[in-house]
Amino acid sequence: MAQMETSGGGGKHDGGVRSKKMSTRVDLTPMVDLAFLLISFFMLTTTLNKPKAMQLNMPKKTDEIDKMDVGECQVLNVLIDTLDAVWYYEGLQVAGLQKTSFSGDDGIRKEVMKKLKKVPAECPPGKKWVDANKDGVKDPAEISMGPRDAIILIKMLHGARYKNMIDILDEMDFTGCKIYAIQDPDPIEVEAISNGGTVKEFAKEVVHQ
Amino acid sequence: MPKVKVPRKSTIVDMTAMCDVAFLLLTFFILTAKFKPQAVVAVDVPSARSTKAVDNAIIITVNTEGKAFISLKEKQVRYAMLDKLTEMSAGHYPGVVDLTPAQKEFFSLTETWGTPIEDLKRVTTMTGTQLKEYQEKQMPGIPFDSINNQLGDWVSAARYATGGDIQIGIKGDKNSNVEYVKNIIKRLTDRDIHRFILITSLATGGDAPAETAATPDADKPK
Repeated sequence: MAQMETSGGGGKHDGGVRSKKMSTRVDLTPMVDLAFLLISFFMLTTTLNKPKAMQLNMPKKTDEIDKMDVGECQVLNVLIDTLDAVWYYEGLQVAGLQKTSFSGDDGIRKEVMKKLKKVPAECPPGKKWVDANKDGVKDPAEISMGPRDAIILIKMLHGARYKNMIDILDEMDFTGCKIYAIQDPDPIEVEAISNGGTVKEFAKEVVHQ
Repeated sequence: MPKVKVPRKSTIVDMTAMCDVAFLLLTFFILTAKFKPQAVVAVDVPSARSTKAVDNAIIITVNTEGKAFISLKEKQVRYAMLDKLTEMSAGHYPGVVDLTPAQKEFFSLTETWGTPIEDLKRVTTMTGTQLKEYQEKQMPGIPFDSINNQLGDWVSAARYATGGDIQIGIKGDKNSNVEYVKNIIKRLTDRDIHRFILITSLATGGDAPAETAATPDADKPK
């Protein structure tokens, strides 16, 4: 430890005052202690989790030009209820409503992946929406399109948690699904879910999209 | 045999080098540290896999009661936004026209706002402690119904003030009703705003299992 020399200045000796040589070394241990204390403080208070963001594009309301011919076989409906459960059915067949969850690879992700693979393989190529009133002539070569892609319709039931919306959008990102839309659920779907997945007889035929 | 002499070494280590390193690190952390700005609106952000950073955005915070608040990082942008709003819709909002420069300055010094425009004149004359209490207890949120869409006006003003070079961020609480966020998106699409970013935090460690529902209104599917 560095200590001060506290001997009284030589009173006894008459001849010149002899100052003692002091070591210039100072013990730095407390200073290092302090420095590390401050380091830990700043490390802990620095905000490490900076906010991240997820892109969401909503459709324009009056966009008649880009209307696509959506085939029933392209669509997978994903519904999320207020109890964090995920329901899904294909096309318009509400009767085939099934329940799943967000749990990793076995949950809704599996169904979305399956659909993404199935649609380009099985669905017939679509046709571009042509306004027959504008140009009466339809050239089949022009209007037929390439293989179809799956379309996922996400429907959040009233009162569902916001977290689940982020989760399903995250799944879309993870599975690489490009075409999805957030919609309001149909009353028939809401009723089917509240009945635990069973659809009443009269409702089996039609769901208005 | 000759004895092996172990030379006695002093146990004192020279601390200078360590001290240097410690202070170097300390300087680094002090200079890079950005303290968490005191969150006026407490919101528990959902986590997602996305790693896109938020750089230049007007953030619309939606709390668990469905109230909306806007926040902008840069002081100049806040000032410009207020100016633009005054210019664009002075007829709509008489309250915003005769704000004094001091009141405008006051406005631009606060990051998060959740005040109806007609109330701005009163709030911008508050003292620091009054403002704090107002923010903590009574901030009513920005109205965003279809008739009185002030939120849309603020966001449009911010877009014009920055020349469109701004992202529209929505920051919702993970346990809140999805309807609140959907309403806000609806009101903004009314104003021809279609691109949003949803503020999330980075998910830690793979897939977090879905938590059980905790919202009071989540008892039964409606």
